[in-house]
Amino acid sequence: MIALIGAAGIAGLLVLTLLRLHAGPTLYDRALAASSVTAKAALICAALAAAAGRADFVDPAFALALGGFVLNLAILKFFRTGTLQAPMVREG
Amino acid sequence: MQIILSFLGAFLIVIGLALMAGGTLGLLRFPDFYTRLHAVRVADGLGAVLFILGLALVSGDGAVALRLVLLAALVAALGPTMSQLAANAAHAAGLAPLAGSYRAPRPDPRRRTP
Repeated sequence: MIALIGAAGIAGLLVLTLLRLHAGPTLYDRALAASSVTAKAALICAALAAAAGRADFVDPAFALALGGFVLNLAILKFFRTGTLQAPMVREG
Repeated sequence: MQIILSFLGAFLIVIGLALMAGGTLGLLRFPDFYTRLHAVRVADGLGAVLFILGLALVSGDGAVALRLVLLAALVAALGPTMSQLAANAAHAAGLAPLAGSYRAPRPDPRRRTP
């Protein structure tokens, strides 16, 4: 029961995070809000798994946590270097 | 024993929810990217770890609890890494932090409500 209440609370916080994702003035605010959204979605999956009492329901939470991390890393790297392609010719 | 663990888990879940509510309100209300990053990654990260540990205590099933503890370790490792990467990317891109004293926006006192 408390796990379901926790899931509902995290869902409300996720809606507030979506407001910052919509209104963020810079790219980095949006990247931060997007990573926070995926982290909160992982928490909702974990809370529902604990409420249902099934171990295989925790796996989407792992996938969301790791996938959100890699996605945010790729976004930051792309907007820093302008490309995801490594340089083909070694300098010098 | 089980009921003590359930109460402790519920306590941890409530503490984690309160911390995450504070972090999310900071994300909404703070004036600057760096302060928002601080609010989200410090308060939200600790709140998420406490929340998952509370879920592991509440669930009462060994397999679920073990996976939730592993998830808590993963979140605790990825949060500060992501925080450092985001701050480094923003600083390298030339995003200047706000300096000086900050005044929160207030309603205009000259505008009178009828």
